[in-house]
Amino acid sequence: MTPPATTEAGEINADAGGTPRWIRRYVKNKGAVFGAVMLGGWILVALFAPWIMPHDPYETLGMARQPPSDMFWFGTDLLGRDLFSRVLLGSRVSLQVGLISVALGAVPGVLMGLFAGYFGGTIDTLISRFVDAMLAFPSILLALIIIASLGPSLQNVMIAVGIGTIPQYARLVRGSVLSVKSLTYVEAARVVGNRPMRIMFRHVLANAYAPVVVLSTLQVGNAILVGSGLSFLGLGAQPPIPEWGLMSAEGRDVLRRAWWISTFPGIAILSVVVACNLVGDGLRSALDPRMRVDG
Amino acid sequence: MGAYVLNRVLQLIPVLWLISVIVFAVMHILPGDPAALMLAGAEGGAVTPQRLDELREEMGLNDPLLVQYGRFLGNALIGDLGTSVRFRTEVTGLVLERFPSTLELAISGLFVALLIGVPLGMIAAVRQNTWVDATAMSISYVGASMPIYFLGLVLILLFAFNLRWLPAAGSEGWDSLILPAVTLGFVSAGLISRLVRSSLIEVLGEDYIRTSRAKGLVERIVLSRHALRNALIPVITIVGLQFGNMLAGAVVTETVFSRPGLGRLTVNAILSKDYPLVQGCVLFLATAYLLVNLMVDIAYAWLDPRIRYGK
Repeated sequence: MTPPATTEAGEINADAGGTPRWIRRYVKNKGAVFGAVMLGGWILVALFAPWIMPHDPYETLGMARQPPSDMFWFGTDLLGRDLFSRVLLGSRVSLQVGLISVALGAVPGVLMGLFAGYFGGTIDTLISRFVDAMLAFPSILLALIIIASLGPSLQNVMIAVGIGTIPQYARLVRGSVLSVKSLTYVEAARVVGNRPMRIMFRHVLANAYAPVVVLSTLQVGNAILVGSGLSFLGLGAQPPIPEWGLMSAEGRDVLRRAWWISTFPGIAILSVVVACNLVGDGLRSALDPRMRVDG
Repeated sequence: MGAYVLNRVLQLIPVLWLISVIVFAVMHILPGDPAALMLAGAEGGAVTPQRLDELREEMGLNDPLLVQYGRFLGNALIGDLGTSVRFRTEVTGLVLERFPSTLELAISGLFVALLIGVPLGMIAAVRQNTWVDATAMSISYVGASMPIYFLGLVLILLFAFNLRWLPAAGSEGWDSLILPAVTLGFVSAGLISRLVRSSLIEVLGEDYIRTSRAKGLVERIVLSRHALRNALIPVITIVGLQFGNMLAGAVVTETVFSRPGLGRLTVNAILSKDYPLVQGCVLFLATAYLLVNLMVDIAYAWLDPRIRYGK
């Protein structure tokens, strides 16, 4: 084994020969492994949902509000549709909401942070002021006004939740850029005659990617949570989409007689979000122990 | 201290202004015609072009954007947030009427969050790396990952329907506040307990803790008088941020428990396309959030003099 690398973020690429150090650190963390297994399971379910669903999730198959049975594992919903199949298919909707919202927030956020940190000056001031104002505004309120003007739909939920995460990325990346901007290797890249764009994307951004990955994993869980909350309120997915928050809302009025309609989708959300958070925290301490933020 | 407070209050002004710009911009620049939306929402179906134009004129939507914004800001500054389409009354009145219920919910939610979060974090820190710690942290983890509506429904199922201890909905009497407050507080309790744990672990490693132990103080006194006092300082900052979570959570909690608060008013305003009401609610909630954070910052500076002189 080569001696451990001591550079700031270069640890990820440390001994390229064997198993990367961060993976070895990651698998030692029981919670993180548990989270990865759970998240992996949900991704498989999402990928293969159409083939593993026992029934058609959109079709009325029997009596409404049937309790869980051998035929219908999670019971049937208000319209007599198989709840188990709907929960399975719902994993697609939720993971999609998580991934797309995060992409919608991460791409502009990372670019803004990169430009602000790299160029400094007026660009930095403008971007930073804008980011501060957005951070001073609870993201749920921003999501609510965006949905108010675009109209309630699953797509608009993704846009609203995504925009809300922009400032966090911008701030994070700006910080990382500032910390490496004046290092020798960036200087060297400039002296050799690289264009600013190439330096920014090839050299500077490469050093910020670990925290961005960590933030993104945690944000996927958060986006799923917020998105399903908005759908629960009627501001997101519309029937008959098998969205977990919407399904919980559908069961709300019959909670006393048919507890399963709200409960199973709720458990599904909880398990996906726990999995994302475990993986995110696991990555955070594996990629850089000093990045650990508790709380 | 006076200078610090003044400085913080002055800093608030540009932020408030930017927020008014953001709210106004999102509502007016994004696609969607407020007048058309309002007509569709309020009068249902048949929208004649004349009626649309009348309304646009009436709402001042035909004026240049800057003129519209100036009017909006000027009116907002004197407390006039416009007229609700659905209720046909002043938005300010509606907001103020619903706000106490939301404030009551948010404060009791915060109280529950601290009541659960602080002891949970303390126990975990004192018994660091034991099964007690692991259990406490698992609870906090689940809390932080819990969809708030799901927790609310589970609590209703358990305590209102099965045990029949507490009412499932409504806002009459103190007992109707318990389940919503626990629902709202539990999520933040997860975050607070993690913060208390790490902060207390850090403080317990300090020299002055070793000194107080060495001079023979009882562990209980070391904890309560020396460790906890310092460990709780960072918790105060998060309390302000948590208040934002409380407002966000209140939107969902009020719907689950059918409480007539500002959150539910906002959601209903969005669903019925009541533009001025949405705008007013959001502006009001954002301002409330900023003011709470201002108060928290001031309290923090008062508790920790380093902050006052730091900047």
